[in-house]
Amino acid sequence: MSGNKKVIDKILDVYPAKVMKNRKEHMLLKDGGKIQEIAANTRTIPGIITNRGCCYAGCKGVVIGPIVDMVHIVHGPVGCSYYAWGTRRNKGKARENGKNFLNYCFTTDMQESDIVFGGEKKLMAAIDEAVEIFNPRAISISATCPVGLIGDDIHKVAKNAKEKHGIPVLSFSCEGYKGVSQSAGHHIANNKLMQEVVGTMDAEKKTFSINLLGEYNIGGDEWEISRVLQKIGYNVVCTMTGNGSYDDIAKSHNADLNLVQCHRSINYIADMIETKYGLPWMKVNFIGVENFTQSLRNMAKFFGDPELLARTEEVIAEETSDIEEEMETIRQKLEGKTAVLYVGGSRAHHYQGLLKELGISTVVAGYEFAHRDDYEGRDIIPYIKIDADSRNIEEIKVEKDEKNYFLRIPEDRLEELKKELPFNQYEGLIKDMEDGSLVIDDLNHIETEIIVKALKPSIVGSGVKDKYIIQKMGVYSKQLHSYDYSGPYAGYKGAINFARDIAAGMLTPAWSYITAPWRKEPLLTGKVSNMEGAESAC
Amino acid sequence: MKERSSYADMQVNPCKMCMPMGASLAFLGIAGSMAIIHGSQGCSTYIRRHIAGHFNEPVDIASSSLTEEGTVYGGARNLKAGVLNLTQLYQPRVIGILTSCLAETIGDDVRRFAKEIRLEHPELVADLIPVPTPGYGGSQTEGYYAALRGIVAHYNPPEADSWKRSRNPRRVNLVASSATCADLRELKEILDSFGLEGVLLPDYSDALDAPFGEPYEKLNPYGTTVEEVQGMKVAAATVELGVLVEESLSPGMYLYEQHGVPLYRIPLPVGLECTDRLLEVLGDIAGMETPLKYKMQRGRLLDAMIDSHKHNGLGRAAVFGDMELAYGLTRLCAENGIKPLVAATGTANQQFSLYMGKLLEEEGLEGEVLQDTDFEVIRERILDRGVNVMVGNSDGKFIWEQDGIDLVRVGFPIHDHVGGQRQRIFGYAGAMELLDRIANTLLDQKHRHYRKTMLETYHAKEAVES
Repeated sequence: MSGNKKVIDKILDVYPAKVMKNRKEHMLLKDGGKIQEIAANTRTIPGIITNRGCCYAGCKGVVIGPIVDMVHIVHGPVGCSYYAWGTRRNKGKARENGKNFLNYCFTTDMQESDIVFGGEKKLMAAIDEAVEIFNPRAISISATCPVGLIGDDIHKVAKNAKEKHGIPVLSFSCEGYKGVSQSAGHHIANNKLMQEVVGTMDAEKKTFSINLLGEYNIGGDEWEISRVLQKIGYNVVCTMTGNGSYDDIAKSHNADLNLVQCHRSINYIADMIETKYGLPWMKVNFIGVENFTQSLRNMAKFFGDPELLARTEEVIAEETSDIEEEMETIRQKLEGKTAVLYVGGSRAHHYQGLLKELGISTVVAGYEFAHRDDYEGRDIIPYIKIDADSRNIEEIKVEKDEKNYFLRIPEDRLEELKKELPFNQYEGLIKDMEDGSLVIDDLNHIETEIIVKALKPSIVGSGVKDKYIIQKMGVYSKQLHSYDYSGPYAGYKGAINFARDIAAGMLTPAWSYITAPWRKEPLLTGKVSNMEGAESAC
Repeated sequence: MKERSSYADMQVNPCKMCMPMGASLAFLGIAGSMAIIHGSQGCSTYIRRHIAGHFNEPVDIASSSLTEEGTVYGGARNLKAGVLNLTQLYQPRVIGILTSCLAETIGDDVRRFAKEIRLEHPELVADLIPVPTPGYGGSQTEGYYAALRGIVAHYNPPEADSWKRSRNPRRVNLVASSATCADLRELKEILDSFGLEGVLLPDYSDALDAPFGEPYEKLNPYGTTVEEVQGMKVAAATVELGVLVEESLSPGMYLYEQHGVPLYRIPLPVGLECTDRLLEVLGDIAGMETPLKYKMQRGRLLDAMIDSHKHNGLGRAAVFGDMELAYGLTRLCAENGIKPLVAATGTANQQFSLYMGKLLEEEGLEGEVLQDTDFEVIRERILDRGVNVMVGNSDGKFIWEQDGIDLVRVGFPIHDHVGGQRQRIFGYAGAMELLDRIANTLLDQKHRHYRKTMLETYHAKEAVES
């Protein structure tokens, strides 16, 4: 991987000085002998083509949108709601109340007159319509860019609507320009769930009860995870928020253990729930056979029940034996291949284990909207400098809820367990990367092209916006945000689905026809008209 | 329960997109151009996603990435930095500066910013074309035309005596809308067949349906060139495909008003009659009759129409999507005996109702015309009227999933199937291909249920027992 340093230089070379200085901080060559820092969660540079989205996308698109029995009204002009219509592929199933609105897209469709005269009335009328037509369990209002600027008070409307209709109405000031990426939206969404939903309903206490936090049921991931957990004997109380329901979230405070899948989007909520209700949290990874197995064992250790421990091993043996042979067959075909992963705030890390099981090593990994702790581990949190953009996002403080707080296991036992299990712990992406590999934050269009050209990976796990750039360069690209209409990829059955999908993608005969018969030479042509002066090759 | 359409304050499943979407698509058809959306990061990201998912091609649109600070103090700094970075990294010949809801709400004047950038950076070679496209100002259709008009106006500024200039009798401006890449190629072929020197605006046929194996270039080299656009003012005529958008947004009307270029505004060449019309107009301009090739194609289309007319007669269609395309598709259905029972667009446009109403009246059909509507209303009408085939973009898939009504995917976006960019709809050949798809969908409905229906009708007893 000695060439990787050159890749960084090559990237930095194309930039104007100011941009270069900025971007340099966002990339590093892994060196296990050093403590390495990376810049993250800072402003996107205008004019470079980043893959990041906005605050609204993080709030409505990621966190609130997956709750199945709520009508999610986007207050704003038509586009914001329309573009987020079903595109994340978070799946959901109606509960006993029969309510599931995930296939719907709701918007107040603000017009110029609403911008000039205000849209509160229209919003209130839209809520009335939503109640009358759909009778949802609850309603969310997400603000888009113009809303805050024209002074629409969505929180007042929410309060009035709640009184009028007698159902919860949650309002989110998640205007697109807030923060620097989707991450700000996750905070705004989760804070509200914490303040107004979690712990608001009494719940029957169930044995071995857990919550899945930061799991969004893309392509059915949560269903596969829950299938295995239930087989072992766990009660899955609530998922935040994939396939989530309002009541499940309201009752989640009574579970025994919180499992954190996506650290980025929810770690602070896990902390708050622990402070308020005494519910401990553990970092898990449900992607990949080994990781899933390890997470299951860690969970069982927490409960320490001999039967549960035995059942865990039984289920692990049964499930892994179902897929072992095929995983091995596929591994043999893919052995030695390399991957570049550039995804959101957790998957670029989570998928590395699964890829490794398939014989693929990750040579570059990066996040779109992660913070430094997602790269460097949670120990760094007290040292992260809070900038103006982060300060604009409300921080909430919670206190012990005397009525509902209880210890799940004795404090000294928890302390003991913390020594071996990842309680309140996440060591970040960098630690798991091999020496000499690259870590790059907020990768953009130009950098993607340089990396693919220089490193010629066998697979790039990314999103739809860069997928076609990568494929034009003759490299297989797998959408790890929405799974290219496939999934689930989590858990055991998910691992084999993933293996089949990427093997089919990488080994398709189509790639072998890239060089046309009349072009014996590889496709090397003249210089492209850009600043880097590199040769353009496919 | 009240009818869904009597509710007016909430859109449920919109049948339209926003203005910067349409404008972005227009700029993708200009060679060497890039667009930057002045707003928060999401606008550009969502639009890239949406376009890339349909065309299966890289779609690179920049953003000024406004944050709260820019929102409070004005976005000039971000936009200027964005334009400069974009220039250094991509060296585009043309930069389209589009606005968003945010930029317009805070009152950022991108026209002024563009002038300032020019003054502050005389070394900047790219042409800057600012186009205000607030998301609340209309739908993708208005955004598309606003961008085209902005591009045409930028390169053909008003001049004294421009009406008196001599014209190139062979040059024709052809302004397309709602076209797939295959449609654009079809239009170019038609222009060539008439021996005309056509300026097709925009032309994303190669940019958004690029052959694999060509070296991938970050900056799109394909499309209508600046020189071609500059030459539009001396054309013999402009043929604008689309009749519904208001004149103030029409690039053809601009060329007529400012430069005296005669303007033909005709419907999209979808179906037999509308293709006849296009060929007739081009024949008039070129001073020649329809080339043999198209006479043959017309004959073949007619043959296809007769091949499938028995099946088409059972078609009870709902047509929806971009307003110009919905109008064309409704005409194609009508001329084939497929009853257009519901014809809808999300765009607010009275012309749509007017034209559609007239069309249906002429054909003696009782269809329902909906503009400024959403898919929940469309669905309600579809169920009311017993529609058996939907013809429109893939957003109709939710009705297909829920109610099992077949969807023939046409238009933009088509996200759940591949190949939307390659479908040919325009011209006789396009009409034939589309008609076959609709007819086969209707035929499959018969095939799928034929044996079961027979069994249940004539052998009910055995059917129960088996």
